[in-house]
Amino acid sequence: MFEIRSLKSKVILQIVLLILTIPYAIPLVQMFLGSLGGKGFLNYKAVWDTGVVPIYFRNSLIISAGVILLVYIFSMTAGFGFAKLHIFGKEVFFWLILVALTLPEVILLSPLFVTFQQMHLFNTFFAVILPVAALQLPFTILLARNFNSGIPNELMEAASIDGANVFSMFWYVILPLTKPIASSIIVLTLINSWNTYLLPLLFLQSPDKQTVTLLPQYFQGEFTNDQTKILAAAVLIAIPEIIVYLLMQKNFEKGMSAGALK
Amino acid sequence: MKKARVVLVVLVALMLMMTTVLAGCSSSKKTEDTSTETSGEVVWWGWTPGSPTNEKYIAEFNKQYPNIKVTWKQTSIDDYDAAIKPALANGQGVDAFEVSAGSGNGGVRVFGGQAIDLTDAVKKALGDDYKNKLNASSITTMTVDGKLKGLGVGTVYSGNLWINQDLFDKYNVKVPTNYEEWKTACKTFKEHGIDGFVQGAGQGAFNMDTFHAIADNVSPGTFTKATRGEVKWTDESIVKALELWKGLFDDGIMQKGALGLQQYPDANNLFMSQKAAMVMMGSWYTSNTLPDTMKAAIESASSSEKPFTLIPINFPDIAGTGKTGSMFGDLDYSTAVSATSKNIKAATTFAVWLGTSQSGQQIIADSLNVVPSLKSATPNWDSVKLVNPEKQNDAVKKYLENAMSSVDNARFAGINADMNQAMMDVLAGVAGGTITPKDGAAKLATTQADSK
Amino acid sequence: MKKKNITLKATKINGLPWILPAFIFVVGIIYYSIFYTFNLSTLDWNGLDPVQTRVGMSNFTKALSDWVFWKAIRNTIVFFIITFVIQNFLGFILAAILHTKVKLATVHKCLIFIPTILAPATMAPVFRLLFSPQGMLQDIFDTLHLGITVDWLSKPNSALFILMIVAVWEFTGMSFILYYAAMSQIDKEMLEASRLDGAGNFRTLWNMVLPNCKGTTVSLAMLGIIGALKTFDIPYLITTGGPNHATEFLGTYIYRQGIRQSHLGYAAAISVMLLVLAISGAILINKMNKGDEK
Repeated sequence: MFEIRSLKSKVILQIVLLILTIPYAIPLVQMFLGSLGGKGFLNYKAVWDTGVVPIYFRNSLIISAGVILLVYIFSMTAGFGFAKLHIFGKEVFFWLILVALTLPEVILLSPLFVTFQQMHLFNTFFAVILPVAALQLPFTILLARNFNSGIPNELMEAASIDGANVFSMFWYVILPLTKPIASSIIVLTLINSWNTYLLPLLFLQSPDKQTVTLLPQYFQGEFTNDQTKILAAAVLIAIPEIIVYLLMQKNFEKGMSAGALK
Repeated sequence: MKKARVVLVVLVALMLMMTTVLAGCSSSKKTEDTSTETSGEVVWWGWTPGSPTNEKYIAEFNKQYPNIKVTWKQTSIDDYDAAIKPALANGQGVDAFEVSAGSGNGGVRVFGGQAIDLTDAVKKALGDDYKNKLNASSITTMTVDGKLKGLGVGTVYSGNLWINQDLFDKYNVKVPTNYEEWKTACKTFKEHGIDGFVQGAGQGAFNMDTFHAIADNVSPGTFTKATRGEVKWTDESIVKALELWKGLFDDGIMQKGALGLQQYPDANNLFMSQKAAMVMMGSWYTSNTLPDTMKAAIESASSSEKPFTLIPINFPDIAGTGKTGSMFGDLDYSTAVSATSKNIKAATTFAVWLGTSQSGQQIIADSLNVVPSLKSATPNWDSVKLVNPEKQNDAVKKYLENAMSSVDNARFAGINADMNQAMMDVLAGVAGGTITPKDGAAKLATTQADSK
Repeated sequence: MKKKNITLKATKINGLPWILPAFIFVVGIIYYSIFYTFNLSTLDWNGLDPVQTRVGMSNFTKALSDWVFWKAIRNTIVFFIITFVIQNFLGFILAAILHTKVKLATVHKCLIFIPTILAPATMAPVFRLLFSPQGMLQDIFDTLHLGITVDWLSKPNSALFILMIVAVWEFTGMSFILYYAAMSQIDKEMLEASRLDGAGNFRTLWNMVLPNCKGTTVSLAMLGIIGALKTFDIPYLITTGGPNHATEFLGTYIYRQGIRQSHLGYAAAISVMLLVLAISGAILINKMNKGDEK
């Protein structure tokens, strides 16, 4: 965006950038340093010794996978439908879905615990997967719809000339083209489902169903609050997220670039 | 737009129908007790004292009852209520759970309705004269509507200060017994780069302890009477107590930024890493006189200092009335058994063992964390080794004896949820200067009246 | 078989079956909760009692005369305005800089976005430590002999400001990515043309780049207002709404009243008002946006 000619300007720009981004690194450094207090790397061993780290990771994985699956399927189909197909009262449906964006998670708690009780879903992963997915969908459907709008109609017409029905059009033409936005949707959904805190806290009771976000609880008793181990746990939770993001970075950016929000 | 209207109306109608249908679906689940007195699986919920201590208790329990599998489920103290409510309402995944006398978390008055009556079980274990064998308040505070809903495990008392005697010796500071001495001590320590007194005033519960101690110093017993409505909150002595509370902040006794700190972990860490010389903690802190416990606490404070001489002292006589040494306490936690559990018998065995058996209560006593409910369980001083036995043994013994002899002075038991919140707000407001002591006292009075 | 009017045919396919599953799912869970909350708001109930007392609109009148409620709203507005401006300003500038040839661009991009990935629940203890006298900042100030005490979470005014810093830290990444994406779409030739006309860097930025990112800015405004109203994790986990409600938000107040103090009806009433505010806010921004495009 900027045209930088002279060396002096280049250097200034680089320094400005550095000054702007260093504050973002500070909390990360604090987190790492804090986790090394007291017993140093033994804190990580202590967190591992609780024996629950693999189980909690597995549970978070299951939940995230479930949410991503639901969100992907619904976003792709609904995004396609809204963008390309004819629907009676389309905007009403869409607007109703968007309004759901305004809902804070907190409000879901009471109604859902009564309902899940009656449907015997309590203490099952579904109790977390379903609400988390429902909260993601308004935004992801919006993203998918915008992306689909950008796909030229000619491609679909060409397919229909070849005798394809709607489903084939979707499967063979549209879907492969949506890879970029799919990456964005997957990364965003992964972040939100890996990080959910309230829903697992309240809806998952069994010790073997807890998620990684509840790992710090282990070190927060009534009269104990072991900061060093809490931070070590925090670092352990953060690492997988960062790795996944780094791996999917290119695709994520492409998806957002391809006219995500106009 | 007409098209849109039609669609909207149809959809809304559909949703209303769905809602009523779902609300109408009721299911009655009959829970069968599949356990016996000596076998079963028990999930035990609580917020304290935390792993690995709870696992030690479970291991001891299993020596006597090897066929009852107990799993400890920990939540943080703040989230306990929120997490256990749906679990109890749902009737699944909770067999035994901790309850407390107050309303801060796990209040027995709130959750007692979901627990079974344990009177018969206790009678079976201790005989009909069980009331003589157990700490009196552990029975009264756990009885709701005439039913014994929880078996007290141990009581904690508050009202005193703990000091780092080594730091006092190092800088030749006199242990404070009144306001002036306290101010001087703090000033001297500050000159050496250490906080004299530290408190996590961002955590309301501990502020309430300090306020209670001051109130008892001004006029013993008034605090408790006020919670019962026998004395008005706007009484002179309460206003004076609030003024003295404010004074702690204005006169530099409370450290800078106290309102933004939590007692755990911030204040505790400061004291444990020897960056502060005095802290207001209660009888639960006694466990830090044990070398291993103190070492763990120091390490969690990211410090590599060695264990130091921890001594309890009376709350300084800041009101100048000469009335000090008052202690107030509640059951720290009790064990209740969920009425909808599938392991009622096994869970009851566990609750009874933890709260009334000699073996269970003895291990509780030796951890010096709470004062056991069973009168016959006292710490085994022969085998319990403190950090600095010369300086600590007598002081700690006397301290515990004094605490246990306190009568009719509940810590949180007499305070309901709304008063809890109001008190935290008023104390924070007075300390920060946003509300005067007089107005604060008035607020307490109105909240108490409204919440009845 | 030849089909007539091919262009029309494609869009004549009924899309209802495609959107219905997603629609029912989202609407089912979320609107059910909304209606349930409407119902709850007229009750006085603690969630466990078998008896529920109906109290009509009194929960609402209670909220309107509750100073904590108004404080929460005031906090939300202040929070939204300040974080919106700072976050998006930074996101925009950073996106512009990173669209220029700079060294280590990927490292910077990652540093900016990684905060968005980390769970607030995970980072809360870090921030409490960082902004306390035991944290890194205090160490830095002490080494520089600046004599400042880092106790900013203890004073009502600075506590809110610190939370805003945390929010900016967390969400600049989002704003950055969106602006970066929008800028990738700007016609390079247009920029060239304006440079040939002699426009400097800042002129170009202001007159050409910014207007082209308008859509992004509007979307961020809508997401921002809704996000501000929904704010829960940051204030709850770092300051629990304190000291003395200085950092109370509608979300934290609802949680505290409903779950911790068991006043479910009252919490529901506040929730209803929150929803009304959120929808009004979104509609307002939408209208303002449409109004501009005349």
